Amino acid sequence: MVKYLLYRLVAAVPLVLGISTIIFFVMSAAPGDMVDIMIRPGMTAEVAEQLRANHGLGQPIVVRYVRWMVDTLRGDFGYSVLHGRPVLDIIRSHLPRTLILSLTALAVAFFSGIVLGTIQAIRQYSWLDSGLSVVLLFFYSMPSFWLAYMLILTFSLFARNVWEWPMWFPAAGMLGTDHEGLSFVARVADRMRFMVLPTLSLSLVLTAGIARYMRGSMLEVVRQDFVRTARAKGLPERAVVFKHALRNALLPVITLLGLYIPVLFSGTVIIEKVFAWPGMGTLLIQAIEARDYMLVMGASFFFALMVIVGNLIADVLYAVVDPRIRYE
Amino acid sequence: MKKELAVLVAVLVSACGGDARVTSNDPFCQRVLPTVEAFLGQARAANPVPNDERYGGTVVMGGIGELRGGMNPVAPIDHSAIQHHQFVNLMTLIDYDENFDARPYLAESWDVSEDQSEITFHLRRDVVWHDGEQTDAHDVAFTYRTVMNPAVGFGNPAYWDHYDKSAEGIEVIDDFTVRMRLRPHAEFLDPWRSVAILPEHLLGDVPAQELAEHPFGTQCPVGNGPFVFDSHSPSERWVFVANPAFPQGLGGRPFYDRYIFRVIPDQTALLTELMTESIDAYITVRPNQAQQIIDNPNVDFLNFRFRNFVMVAWNARRPQLADPRVRRAITMATNREEIVQAIQGGYAVVANSSVPPFHWAYRGFGAEDMAYNAASAAALLDEAGWIDRDGDGVRENADGLPLAVSIKYNTGNQERQDIAEILQAQLGGVGIRVTPEVVDFGALLGQISDPDSRDFDGVVMGWVPEFKLDDMDLFHSARTNEPNAWTGTDNPEIDRLLEALSFSVDRDETARLWAEYEVVLNEEHPFTFFYFPDRLTGVNKRVRGVHMDARGEWTNLKDWYLDPERR
Repeated sequence: MVKYLLYRLVAAVPLVLGISTIIFFVMSAAPGDMVDIMIRPGMTAEVAEQLRANHGLGQPIVVRYVRWMVDTLRGDFGYSVLHGRPVLDIIRSHLPRTLILSLTALAVAFFSGIVLGTIQAIRQYSWLDSGLSVVLLFFYSMPSFWLAYMLILTFSLFARNVWEWPMWFPAAGMLGTDHEGLSFVARVADRMRFMVLPTLSLSLVLTAGIARYMRGSMLEVVRQDFVRTARAKGLPERAVVFKHALRNALLPVITLLGLYIPVLFSGTVIIEKVFAWPGMGTLLIQAIEARDYMLVMGASFFFALMVIVGNLIADVLYAVVDPRIRYE
Repeated sequence: MKKELAVLVAVLVSACGGDARVTSNDPFCQRVLPTVEAFLGQARAANPVPNDERYGGTVVMGGIGELRGGMNPVAPIDHSAIQHHQFVNLMTLIDYDENFDARPYLAESWDVSEDQSEITFHLRRDVVWHDGEQTDAHDVAFTYRTVMNPAVGFGNPAYWDHYDKSAEGIEVIDDFTVRMRLRPHAEFLDPWRSVAILPEHLLGDVPAQELAEHPFGTQCPVGNGPFVFDSHSPSERWVFVANPAFPQGLGGRPFYDRYIFRVIPDQTALLTELMTESIDAYITVRPNQAQQIIDNPNVDFLNFRFRNFVMVAWNARRPQLADPRVRRAITMATNREEIVQAIQGGYAVVANSSVPPFHWAYRGFGAEDMAYNAASAAALLDEAGWIDRDGDGVRENADGLPLAVSIKYNTGNQERQDIAEILQAQLGGVGIRVTPEVVDFGALLGQISDPDSRDFDGVVMGWVPEFKLDDMDLFHSARTNEPNAWTGTDNPEIDRLLEALSFSVDRDETARLWAEYEVVLNEEHPFTFFYFPDRLTGVNKRVRGVHMDARGEWTNLKDWYLDPERR
């Protein structure tokens, strides 16, 4: 297992570098450069040239590529002109924000998807099953950004200003005004309050998909012989469902994890913008718009890494859930 | 398994509860930040908060983008960031009053030599940097040499057109007196309103090429203004605290304890945050959001005339746009008053030149001459030889070249897209075929600014003049190869007037020259000027004393205070 993991990690290195190389040349081929973006009234060609020289843009692309590659391999991701900080600093502040949001959304989606799917399967064709199907389909067919705006409208704007509910959720950002001055518990609560709406927007759509899978998978499993055997042994229904059927039904759902991680990261790009969540998605878009080459490279490097690691985790989980699968 | 899960949850929860502050591990900042901390401690002890109920609280402002370059005046130019240099964290030599006349700020007074070739600034003696060091004449001299040093790459060299860039340009007379050499001009003081003074004791030994990227800008700014830098969480927020040692003569310590600038990159989110009272002010409200703000009882709606204008720049190098009569006809065939109503909800004034409505040189030129008149536009096009010869609804010249132009605008800019599309509809009516074309902003700037390319017919753009108006960049023929000479204007009369304007000292004389220039510019017609949009802002009613005008949204930030009842 360890050997397999190492092999996968080593294999990931050329993959990440390959992706970065493609992005490097695509970015360089894009018309306009970061100095063009800085052009303002009063700017002269002389100053533009000076700025290009100061940012190392004057050299031929091959030289820039080799320099970038050498620096990256040394762990130096360069300097972000857009943010006025080293790229690694920027990633260090933005990456955890995206991870916390997307991982929470993933956890919520899988947990609720599995629970709802199971309920639907064991109560097949009941009004509960049909009702949940309709509700889930409703969320499944909804674009997540629209859902996000509707959640803001309902649980933030109307909840506070029109209906005056005792509880409403902030529509933008990730920390309250007085966050620094709060106690530990209050700080956790503050963070959570800001996470509710973005997490919901991200996870509701996923939940629906997972629940559908779970329902199908569960229905297949409960018809199998070992489940009948478990029932015949006289096990209580709870043990049959949760101990015997559920573990097996989870297998195909776990594979979804690997599939959903890239979907989730691209989903956060939109959700982060709507909720002003200052994560990697917003960062990458702004970096591309500003032609902040170093930041684009750094951010996409880590995006690629996240996707690869996510897939790896899914593979490992697969082995954990199913003892028959062993990687060598 | 359960144990691991519990550990994971515990780690996540403690991560959530952690301090959100991003502290810099840069060696410069490691050295500087403790000195700021120590200064704040001493200053707070020495200047207790006055016993007045207006003191206290936190003001939160929301803006659409990061403060690019942070608190570093030589970093890339960003309008919100510049205002933070001017009014929040740093200080400028002078400041403008409500009538846009210079008044003392860091400089207590100044005298100008009789021939206007020298200006001597006398600095305040009670301004200290936020690490306790005195702000003095050496800082001013350092700033002067820095911004004029080509290696620094200061973004707006046009500021210094009138200043002597040689070593003799600036002279330190004593610790609080500096003398600068310059060429006379009606508004030579203007750059010192917007370029803040830098601390020499911190940046004096930084190589010029590295100044724009120095950690001073975003990680550990040390200013001397009314607010001291506290923390910056990239893409999220800037936090400043009141400077207890800010000179009494300039109002002393600001009323509230903390000022937070939050980055919220979505205008719908900004509006919601204002409506739910999560932010106190929303900068650059979209016109179609104005009514919602006006209807909200908790929020004041402010609008003021700013300096920027929106226009379509025409590429006169293109054969179909080479004749000034064609460009003028385009403007006459465009109902700009209607566009102001439709796109700006009436929050704008139609523009006919680059002189903004609040400016002392503004005379309302062209309001009648250039008013919407499709019939005159058609007649003008006929006269210029553009006639629909084949009956396809599009005019052609004698060589059969159709009068077809593409108009470019940048991705994601609804206002400019609307303009391009309205032009398409309105110009179609007089036989001009317009094709709107959307291009990514970076690519667009490359296409229009590169002197070897200039790949466009027309482009919808915005422009922000300084208070010291100067169209040299845009229209003087000697600057054809500069990035902003989009139109390729080559008109000796325009050249002559622009030069005269750059030497004109007397305001009346200058205003007369502008009026003359406007007539010639209108004949040449390199731009279809659209409008000067108002700047719209929503401010929570709990914030008192807010004043905003063409100087900017942050103009009197230090004089605001919070209603004690609603802190």
